[in-house]
Amino acid sequence: MNGTVTVRVQKIKRNTIKARLIFFLALAAILLLITLYADRLAPYDPYAQDLSKSMLAPSAEHWMGTDRYGRDMFSRVLVGAQTSVFSTLALVAAISVFGTVVGTLCGYYGGALDSIVMRISDVCLAFPGLVFALAIAALLGGGVSNAVLALAVISWPKYARVARSQTLALKSSDFMAAARLSGSNSMQMILRHILPNSLGPILVTAMLDIGTMMMELAGLSFLGLGAQPPTAEWGNMMSGGRSMLQTYPWLVLSPGFAIFVTVVIFNLLGDTVRDYMDPKNSRAQ
Amino acid sequence: MMKKLLAILLVLCLAVGILAGCGGGSSSGASSGSSASSGGSAAAPAKKTFVFGDTTFNAENEEPDINPHYAYSGWPCIRYGVGETLMKIADDGTLQPWLAESAVNVNETTWEIVIRDNVCFSNGKKVDAAAVKACFEHLIEVHERARDNLKIDSMEADGQKLTIVTSEPNPILMNYLSEAYGCIIDMEVGIPENGCVVGTGPYVATEVVTDDHVSLVKNVNYWDGEVHIDEITVRTISDGDTLAMALQSGEINAAYGMAYGSYPLFENDNYTFTSIQTSRCFWGMANLHEENPGYAIMSDPAVRKAIAMGIDKEGFVNVLLNGYGYPATGAFPDSFAFGQGVKTVSFDPAEAKAVLEAAGWVDTDGDGIREKNGQKLSIRWLTYPSRQELPLLAESAQATLKEIGMDVQINCTKDHNSIRKDPTAWDVWFSANVNAGLGDPANFFDTYCLDSSIKNSGGHHSDKLEELAVQLRGTFDPDERARIAVEMQQELLDDNSYVFCSFLRMSMIMQKGVTGLEAHTCDFYELTADLDIA
Repeated sequence: MNGTVTVRVQKIKRNTIKARLIFFLALAAILLLITLYADRLAPYDPYAQDLSKSMLAPSAEHWMGTDRYGRDMFSRVLVGAQTSVFSTLALVAAISVFGTVVGTLCGYYGGALDSIVMRISDVCLAFPGLVFALAIAALLGGGVSNAVLALAVISWPKYARVARSQTLALKSSDFMAAARLSGSNSMQMILRHILPNSLGPILVTAMLDIGTMMMELAGLSFLGLGAQPPTAEWGNMMSGGRSMLQTYPWLVLSPGFAIFVTVVIFNLLGDTVRDYMDPKNSRAQ
Repeated sequence: MMKKLLAILLVLCLAVGILAGCGGGSSSGASSGSSASSGGSAAAPAKKTFVFGDTTFNAENEEPDINPHYAYSGWPCIRYGVGETLMKIADDGTLQPWLAESAVNVNETTWEIVIRDNVCFSNGKKVDAAAVKACFEHLIEVHERARDNLKIDSMEADGQKLTIVTSEPNPILMNYLSEAYGCIIDMEVGIPENGCVVGTGPYVATEVVTDDHVSLVKNVNYWDGEVHIDEITVRTISDGDTLAMALQSGEINAAYGMAYGSYPLFENDNYTFTSIQTSRCFWGMANLHEENPGYAIMSDPAVRKAIAMGIDKEGFVNVLLNGYGYPATGAFPDSFAFGQGVKTVSFDPAEAKAVLEAAGWVDTDGDGIREKNGQKLSIRWLTYPSRQELPLLAESAQATLKEIGMDVQINCTKDHNSIRKDPTAWDVWFSANVNAGLGDPANFFDTYCLDSSIKNSGGHHSDKLEELAVQLRGTFDPDERARIAVEMQQELLDDNSYVFCSFLRMSMIMQKGVTGLEAHTCDFYELTADLDIA
C-alpha cells in the first residue's frame, strides 16, 4: 500500500517536472527565436545616431527610451541579444565539447596525457575565474571574440573534470568489460558506451553554465574588455549608461532587465533539466 | 516549505541591503568642510578642511606629481595653489603681474624682470632674482618643451632684478614663463623624493601619491593675503560616477571634470556651478607618416576633407556636451583676435560623400564601407578616456562617418601617449588641449604643427607653415602676430590634416557654501587663497 502511494507521488512529481521542462524549453525557444530574428523585429536601426532624439524617456514610440546618441534602446537591446546570447551559447558549446573530449580521453587512456592535462586544468582552476579571464582578455585586447576566448580558457577544465570522473567510473563497470570482450576497440568503447552514459551530467552542467557565462561575458564587456562601442551588447550598454543611472535610469535598466530575464530563463531551464535527469525522480518509470 | 521561507528571507535581506545602500548617510566622510576640532577645550579654533575631486590629475595626463619641471606636472602645481608664476594670464588673455612686479622688453632678445620684494617661498625664504634664476636654469636643463619655448641664452640676477637674454627674438617669453612649468620653486630644496616641491603659493604640499591624492596645508608665510582653508586634499577620481557620488555624499566639497550626464543631479540649490568659456579644444590630427599602413588613406586629401565634413560639431556640443561648449572653426576661439576670420568646411554628409566618390572611393561590395584599389576606407581613431568628452566625440563621429561610408575603429586608451609615438599604430589622434592658454597662438603651432614640434606625432609638414612660423617668432606687434596666426591656421584647415571640433565651456561644481573657487579661461588657477567654505 505504502509503496503504491510512493510510486504515485513520484509519478506526479515526474509529471510536474516534465511540464516545467516543457514550459522553460518553450521560453528558451521563444527567446532564441526573438534573438534570431532580432534584426527584423527591431523597430529602428540600433546603430543610427539621431542626436535630436537624445535621452528620450520610455514612451510608446521608444519603448525603452533612447540613449545619448539618440539610438533606440529597445532595438539595441533586441540586437544586443544576438551578441550576448549567441556568444554565450557558442562559448558553452565550445567549452563543453572540448572539455568533454579532453576529459574522456584523459579518463580512458590515463597515463602521462592524463597527468599533464589535469595539471594544466589545475592551473586554470587555481585562479579566481573572472580575475583570470580579465587578465587574458586584457592581454588579447577588446572584442567579443577575445572575451569568449578568455572565458573559454578558464572554463573548460570543469567539463574535463566531470567527463574524466564519469569515464573512470564507467571504465571499471561490468558492461564495459563485456563490451571489451565482445571485441570493441577503444574508439567504439568511447563513442558507444562512455560518451552516451556520461552526457547527462555534462548536459546539466552546460545548461546551468549558460546563465553564469552570460553574466561573465556581460561583466567583461561592462569592464571594457568585451564588446567595444558601438556594438550593441548588454554588458557594454550597461557600462555606457552607468554614469546616468541616477538621471536616465532606463539606459542601465533596459539591458540589465534583458540580462536578468535571459539568465533566469536559462538557469531555471538548467535546474529543471537537472531535476528531470535526476535518477531519484525517474524511479517511477 | 523551508525552501520558500529561506527564499523570502534572502529576498528581504537583499531589499534591506539595497535600501541601506541608497540611504543618505550624509554624516559620513570628510563632508563637513569646516569643522571644529572635536572634544577638548571649547576655545580650540575651528579647522577648515576642503576636499577637491579631480578627474585629470593622473599619470595618464603626464601629471604624476606636482613637480613643475616634469612634463605637465606643473599643471597640478599651479592649479592646486602650490606654485605661482611671474605673470598671470587674465581671462581676456592679457598678462598681469604676479610674482613679478614688471617685465620690460629692453630689446628684441633682452628682458628685464623685477621680482616683487615681498614674496617668499612657503619655507619662509625670500624670493629674489637669484632664486628665480636657479629655478629657470634647472627647468631648461631638464624640460625639453620649456627649453624649446623659452630659448633662454643667459640670465643675470641682481637683487630683485632678473635679466634674461634669449638666443633669438622671443616675443612671448613672458607668456611662456606664465605656463605651468614656469612655477617658481625653491631649488635649494630642489625636487624632493616625496615630490613635495616648495613654491610660493597659498598651499604647501605635504604628501603626493600618484593617481591618488595630494595633501596640502595652509601656507602661513603666504605673501598675498590671508589663506582661509587649513587643510586641503585633492583626490584623483578618474571615474565620473565615483566623482558624482562623492560630491553627492559630501565626501568631496567640489569637483572638476564631472560627467555631463551627471549635471542634472547638481542643478539645484545645494550646489553651485562655476563655468567659463575656455580655449580647451577637442581636435584631431592626421597621421601622415609614410610607414603608416593607413598612409594611402590618410594622405588622400579627399579622405581628410570628408572626415572634416563628416563630424557633427553642433550636435556634439549641443547634445553630447549638454551645451557646455561651442563649435570650433580653427584652433582658437573667436574671442581672440587670432581666432577670427578662419574658414573651414562644415558638417555636410552629402557633400562628403560626393568628395569621396569623386576621389574614387566607392562601395563596390555593398557593405556600406567604401573601397579604393582594394583597400577599405577604414581609419583607426586614437583617443583617451580621461577627458570624458573624447570618447563621446569618437563614438559620435564613428556613427556620422559610417553614414558617408567610412569605417572608424576606435582605440580609446589611457596609453595614447605612447601609442601616438608609434607612426604605424593610428590614423587620427584626437585630444583635448588648451590651445591659447597663454593668451598667444604661438605655443599651439610650436607644440603640434611644425617640423620641430615635440607633439607633431602625425608628421605633418608644410613649407608655408614653417615660413610663417619663422615670421611669427620674430614679430612683436600683437596685431601682426594675430594676422600670421590666422594665416597659419588657414593653412592647416585648407589641408584638413587638423580638424578642430569644439571648445569647452569648463565647469566646476561645488557644494553650496564654497566660495572663491572660480573657473578661468586658461584653466591654470583653481585653488587660490580666496577659497573658503562656510
